[in-house]
Amino acid sequence: MTGTLAAGATALASIGSSAAGLPAPPVAQVTAIEASLFVFVVLTALFTALARDVLAAVIIFGAYSLGMAALYTFYRAPDVAMTEAAISAGVTTVLLLLTLAKTTRRQHEAAFESVNLPAAGAVGLLFGGLLLTMGDIPAVGSRDAPIWSNPDVTQWYIAETYAETHVENAVMAVLAAFRGFDTFGEAVVVFAAGIAALIVLRREVFA
Amino acid sequence: MSGSDDDGFDRDRPPRTGGRLDSDRRQGTPYTESQVIMPTVKIVAPFAFTYGLFVTFHGGSSPGGGFQGGAIVAAVVFMIAFAFGIEATRQWLANTVVVGLAVGGALVFAGIGLVPVALGGAFLQYELLPIPDPVKYGMEGVEILGIGTIVAGVLMGLFFVLANGFSDAGGFADADAFADETGGPGTDDPDQDSTDDPTGEDGPTGEDDPTDEAGSADAGAPGTAATDGGERR
Repeated sequence: MTGTLAAGATALASIGSSAAGLPAPPVAQVTAIEASLFVFVVLTALFTALARDVLAAVIIFGAYSLGMAALYTFYRAPDVAMTEAAISAGVTTVLLLLTLAKTTRRQHEAAFESVNLPAAGAVGLLFGGLLLTMGDIPAVGSRDAPIWSNPDVTQWYIAETYAETHVENAVMAVLAAFRGFDTFGEAVVVFAAGIAALIVLRREVFA
Repeated sequence: MSGSDDDGFDRDRPPRTGGRLDSDRRQGTPYTESQVIMPTVKIVAPFAFTYGLFVTFHGGSSPGGGFQGGAIVAAVVFMIAFAFGIEATRQWLANTVVVGLAVGGALVFAGIGLVPVALGGAFLQYELLPIPDPVKYGMEGVEILGIGTIVAGVLMGLFFVLANGFSDAGGFADADAFADETGGPGTDDPDQDSTDDPTGEDGPTGEDDPTDEAGSADAGAPGTAATDGGERR
């Protein structure tokens, strides 16, 4: 009984891999939730690009960012997921909505942009070319991935971060300690962005 | 444009001192309360704010850190502004606070980096900080007091500076700033207004609702109805 089940699973996997032209493991590991999130993200990205109404595009883009944040969580990048949810889905959407409110918004009869066929063909070619490289990308969580198989970098941080910095979050240790000077530059960039907004909008106070 | 003194923006506003944000003094201008949004924000905001602080302060032991936590804290302010009116929130949260967060964060980050330099080390060489467990608490200080405050302050500042002139009447009251660049109020053609009016009405988000409701409520208020069409751009 178990033998037939295993054989059936192997057959299914081989069908899946031959149909997609990709190695089997990544196809087999995607759960239903992840698959639906992928579909959601692709659909919202398409609707963002195609929506004729800018307000609708901004809102769909926020939904796209929320889907991406959920995907990052499933692929064990909670730091990135938090940033995506707070900045992209929250703050950026609000700032874009405010900007829209300051401008005029045209009413459109059609819901979607008309697609420029030559441009769509060029984008499709580029997309197809990028898809061809997918076969060389290691599977998620694979031990052969360069990020894992290089013991001098990733594994050193995982092994030594706590001894060196006494914090458990290796991401924060890398950001604030191992490459703290870069982070200082990033923080100054954020600060400069605020100043630049004041200068561009010719204001002297924020609030 | 003639009734620029009647737009209830920034002039006949009560002073920013004292009072809760949802008090009558703060909410003196015609800003319609949404029975859904205001109670929801009242309930959610403390939890979201606490979560933002947790993400910031607990960044060393769990996912998160100053950047994420600061963004969440700033998002709480956005949420409050959408529920209670951007102008009321702007005056409740004075410019001093916003600037102080951003500038103070940058100064603290640079200061923590410069202390080891003063002690003969390198920039951000945490081991030399004169505190117990210097690497851990130096990093925490940079994350909490440096990055978190910079991000929170700058994001709030970007929000308020973008929302500048967004009156409680549901439009941009100080159209003068734009009028200077676009050639004066005369460029307000009725065609533009007709395309602009439905803006608030078919917005599917809840975030658009306060604007919409405030605008429709204001249209019925005496004195401002005449300027409403002209002010909305």
